[in-house]
Amino acid sequence: MSLALSTLLYEWRRYMAAVVALAFSGLLVLAQVGMFMGIGKAFTAQIDRARADIMILSPGATALFNGGPSGVPRRIMPVVYQHPEVLAVADLDGSGGRWQNIVKDKEPGGDPAAPGAKKMEFVNVTTIDAMPGAVTVPVDYSDDLVEALRQPYAVAVDQTALGRLGVKLGDQASYNGKTVRVAAVTQGYPNMMQATVVMSRDTLRMLGEANTGERVGPLMVQIKDPARAPIVVAQLNSISNGQFKAWTRQDLAEANEGAMMKESFIAIMLGFSLFLGVLIGVAITWQTLRGAIMANIKEFASLRALGVAMGSLRWIVLELSFWVGIAGVLAAFVLTWGVSLLAAGSGLTMSFPPMMVMMVSLMLIVIALLSGLLSLGVLKNSQPADLLR
Amino acid sequence: MNTHTKVHGKHGDFAIEAKGLVKRFKTGRSWVEVLKGVDFDARHGDLTMVMGPSGSGKSTLIANLSGLLKPEEGRVDILDVDDLWTYGSGRIDKFRLDHCGFIFQGFNLFPSLTALQQVMTVLKYQGLSSADAKKRATTALEEVGLGHRLHQRPNALSGGEKQRVAIARALAKDPQILFADEPTSALDGENGQVVIRLLRRAATEHGAAVICVTHDPRLEAWADRVIHIEDGRILDDQRRTPDPDAQLASH
Repeated sequence: MSLALSTLLYEWRRYMAAVVALAFSGLLVLAQVGMFMGIGKAFTAQIDRARADIMILSPGATALFNGGPSGVPRRIMPVVYQHPEVLAVADLDGSGGRWQNIVKDKEPGGDPAAPGAKKMEFVNVTTIDAMPGAVTVPVDYSDDLVEALRQPYAVAVDQTALGRLGVKLGDQASYNGKTVRVAAVTQGYPNMMQATVVMSRDTLRMLGEANTGERVGPLMVQIKDPARAPIVVAQLNSISNGQFKAWTRQDLAEANEGAMMKESFIAIMLGFSLFLGVLIGVAITWQTLRGAIMANIKEFASLRALGVAMGSLRWIVLELSFWVGIAGVLAAFVLTWGVSLLAAGSGLTMSFPPMMVMMVSLMLIVIALLSGLLSLGVLKNSQPADLLR
Repeated sequence: MNTHTKVHGKHGDFAIEAKGLVKRFKTGRSWVEVLKGVDFDARHGDLTMVMGPSGSGKSTLIANLSGLLKPEEGRVDILDVDDLWTYGSGRIDKFRLDHCGFIFQGFNLFPSLTALQQVMTVLKYQGLSSADAKKRATTALEEVGLGHRLHQRPNALSGGEKQRVAIARALAKDPQILFADEPTSALDGENGQVVIRLLRRAATEHGAAVICVTHDPRLEAWADRVIHIEDGRILDDQRRTPDPDAQLASH
């Protein structure tokens, strides 16, 4: 074991502040990445868990909704059908509007903020074809759920949105002024931005909001052999003539996540956290390393006396800061894991793409090495002549 | 190449020859001359004792001789090096790595390393493989009587044992010159005796030029030569016959 590593392990208390500082810098960035990615996952949940093997969007769109116009001209549907491997094509219809819960009369003087208070929210509506196995029905929807949505004016709300919408299973509510009923509660479709309400295509039609015009929403396509999706996608795209773009489910989910990170407010927040994390990390790690090296300066000086070159001592310091960085990465993982458990407990799923985790790890090691470089000046104090007193 | 100092000299050959060393330090606004034109030499196989009260310049002298602190004036010929202070700091480091051992009053051992690792660390910087370094370090530690303490860290060792580790660290390199600065003053009489005997043996058996700075007059008994220095000048320089069985009473 090297001098640097055994020093870190044996005198870990001395280096603790640096490791903790790195861990929190890492947490600061990782937790936000995780949160945004988790939110992103919520947006892509519909894509990830769709029954469709292929999705067809307007060129340039990377999201089913929330990403600008994503639909295609209605006449694209028969074009897609012409592909011999295509089994089913359905447009994903959506809408949106004002949601109000219906509060039963309470005794006068009740707390207006108490549960049961009036809520008004703008909601996003997506539809399914309320038949088990339809291409627009997500794979994790049970037959009972589909059956419940088949009832007129029945809607499903995600568990995480119940509070925000002020309803519970079985309640009635007003959507764009028409009464609907919460007939089902879904799990695992959180949405930080705007609550999503799911209803059948027929209910949407009865509400008068179904799409009947020239354009329809994104197309959900089922093919005979899902394994051949990439090939079919390529073939469909070759005949698209620039009017649509076909995606495999996986590719679209990834593009969606990537597009999300490009959202300017996320980039600004992440960039700012990154800046803060680096700043705080470097400052604390640098000072800690300085102090810790100063504590061993006589030992370093005695090595100098015995003829170990300054360059070799610098390497020891840099190696030490590298291991501090590694320890910081491990501590950051533990902290982030704890935070993600807490978040999951309160209904927010965090997601950590390996690429992001690797970049944050790299960032922490760079911070540690940078601090090590800044601490090199301390070695000037390792004057062996000072030991001759 | 000078002819008067040699690397592999026989007992009695010159290992160091310094002429006219002058060293000044700035204290406040005035300069204090710590060494006022000192001539010094040391021979292979000798235990040369440099004695003097604190502030006499004895530590500064060995710092000048060993390439740790540059004198304002004067020259140092050491082993095969003609005028050490014409070398750059990198070459001086390399020279010390190849030829010099150091023992300090404080033991300056890394708290995280075992006795064996302390000694091996320096040997590895000399370019030895791990296996060779381990072999040499073990031998050196056995020589100072710590064969049973190889895997102890400094906090498990007594003061005397720590100083013996430091000596093993200096001796494992098999240096031609060994500098010791107050090596016994942090130790009790018994441990002090062990340490001075080890220095004596380094001179007699390894033929090293051992230069030991101390203010403890009782160590004189082991010396081949005693140089008294005071106020930056050498007062006297006596040769004497060492008594290897001398006893150092408890402090």
